[in-house]
Amino acid sequence: MSPLPSFARVLRDHRRGLATWALAVGAITAFYLAFYPMMGQEMVDAVQGMPEGLMRGLGYDRIGTGAGYVDALIVGLLAPLLLLVHAIALGGRLIAGQEEDGSLELDFAAPVSRRRLYLERAAAAWTLVLALVAVLATVVVAMNGPAELALELGHVPAVALPLALLVGGFASVAFAIGAATGRRGAAVGVAAGLAVFAYVVRGVADATGNDLLGAFSPFVWLLGPEPLQNGWDWGATAKLALITVVALPLGLLRFERRDLGV
Amino acid sequence: MTHHPAIRTVGLIKDYGRHRALNGLDLEVRRGETFGFLGPNGAGKSTTIRVLLDLLRPDGGTAEVLGLAPRDAGPSLRARIGYLPGELHVAGRTPAGDALRHFAALRGGRGRDRIAPLAERLSLDLRRPVRALSKGNKQKVGVIQAFMHAPELLILDEPTSGLDPLLQQEVLSLIREAAAEGATVLMSSHVLREVEEVADRVAIVRDGRTIDVDEVAALRARAGQRVRLRFAEPVDPEPFRAVANAERVEIDGATVRCVLHGEPHELLRLAARHHAVAWEARDRDLEELFLDVYRLNDRTAARAEPGNGAAR
Repeated sequence: MSPLPSFARVLRDHRRGLATWALAVGAITAFYLAFYPMMGQEMVDAVQGMPEGLMRGLGYDRIGTGAGYVDALIVGLLAPLLLLVHAIALGGRLIAGQEEDGSLELDFAAPVSRRRLYLERAAAAWTLVLALVAVLATVVVAMNGPAELALELGHVPAVALPLALLVGGFASVAFAIGAATGRRGAAVGVAAGLAVFAYVVRGVADATGNDLLGAFSPFVWLLGPEPLQNGWDWGATAKLALITVVALPLGLLRFERRDLGV
Repeated sequence: MTHHPAIRTVGLIKDYGRHRALNGLDLEVRRGETFGFLGPNGAGKSTTIRVLLDLLRPDGGTAEVLGLAPRDAGPSLRARIGYLPGELHVAGRTPAGDALRHFAALRGGRGRDRIAPLAERLSLDLRRPVRALSKGNKQKVGVIQAFMHAPELLILDEPTSGLDPLLQQEVLSLIREAAAEGATVLMSSHVLREVEEVADRVAIVRDGRTIDVDEVAALRARAGQRVRLRFAEPVDPEPFRAVANAERVEIDGATVRCVLHGEPHELLRLAARHHAVAWEARDRDLEELFLDVYRLNDRTAARAEPGNGAAR
């Protein structure tokens, strides 16, 4: 019997879902990376004709290198699209969604404190996020040779961890808002809205070279330091961790005090 | 600390936005008794139950369960309670057995070894996903998780609703067995019939207030008998209306109907003056009394608070 029943329960409930997402994320990542050697030079030529702002906004100014290609297409585009959709939906579901459909009623009535239930389920959300980011990172490493990416493999963790902190951060925001309100719609809506907003801000900030604006977007914290090229940026990594560190305790504070299942 | 009642609420108040779900609800359930908690849907039964389990925090009044405040005692108090919710939902494709093992794990494994015997007794297939089960079979899952750890206090929200008569009897005998072993049982229902077989006392609630508490035996006596008399020819209604312990006297030509409380002597003497051709008397259902109490309460409420429509 598991010493962490709520944690174990979430993982068991999401076995199948995790396997499907891992396959999809792995396959799509591999597919995009496989194109790098074929269209590398053509892309560079095509991109040369673009206005400089737009080029920078999309992160395409460095697309001719393996690191730049992975940053722009995988970390800057695919990961937010796929991983964030999954993570925010998961965060919204693990307390608020299941509270709304009634499937947490007996967990709430069990001899487990709300704090413990909250922490075990948050840890489970994080475990699922980390697993998907690990799959993505593994595929990038595995494709390094075949796709001629010429990456500094030692730098992969320096982008994988910040990516996990960003994705897990938005999952935590959805989780915390869901736990605080009991409303899945609010949780997913606010977290997704913030993510879209942060993504757009990063695009605008990059295109216009507005550093002040960019200072507020987690996507700038993730991509700005070009960690795949340059290695760890601890300051940016810490800022990304802050999303979770702020969101989770706030959600717990309210979750411990409110009415459940109303 | 057996001198504490199993459950005591005093003046419990709970608002959902502008709707007052509990309006000063008082309730006292003694240790070891089986207590019926009756009222129509929306009377506040589930709200009260969910306050006792610390799922809801009251806006006023106090609640005590096994001598402890649900809010302060938290998990250690819930470990001593078995709870059957009004409706059971289990996530995903979880088989019934896995769901039950999870509920046991949340209790540190307590009750795990009783899952199989209880499932066999209620004939529940543990391999089937809960989501795919019929309402009755889902209810079995709920019943098993409420009883498996042999709790001191069982709080059952509509335990027999939606079950076929056979299964209803099985659940009632589980309740009797738990009571025989000393457990206290609070069971809610909107139908008195479902609780009168096992309950010692019942409380009747309406609009978030307790309007009557009594022993089931006393309620039954209060319920009286429904009497029908048929005579050879039409009778004079006035003497029948004057019978002191007859209520709701209806006279339709040669037929007299009424509700009789206590001795039939006076009515029989009056009837003997005529030529009676048929006589029928049957005990009233407690259900009918239940409706009486509501009607009475409606009249008193209407008198006491002429503007009470505005509160809802």
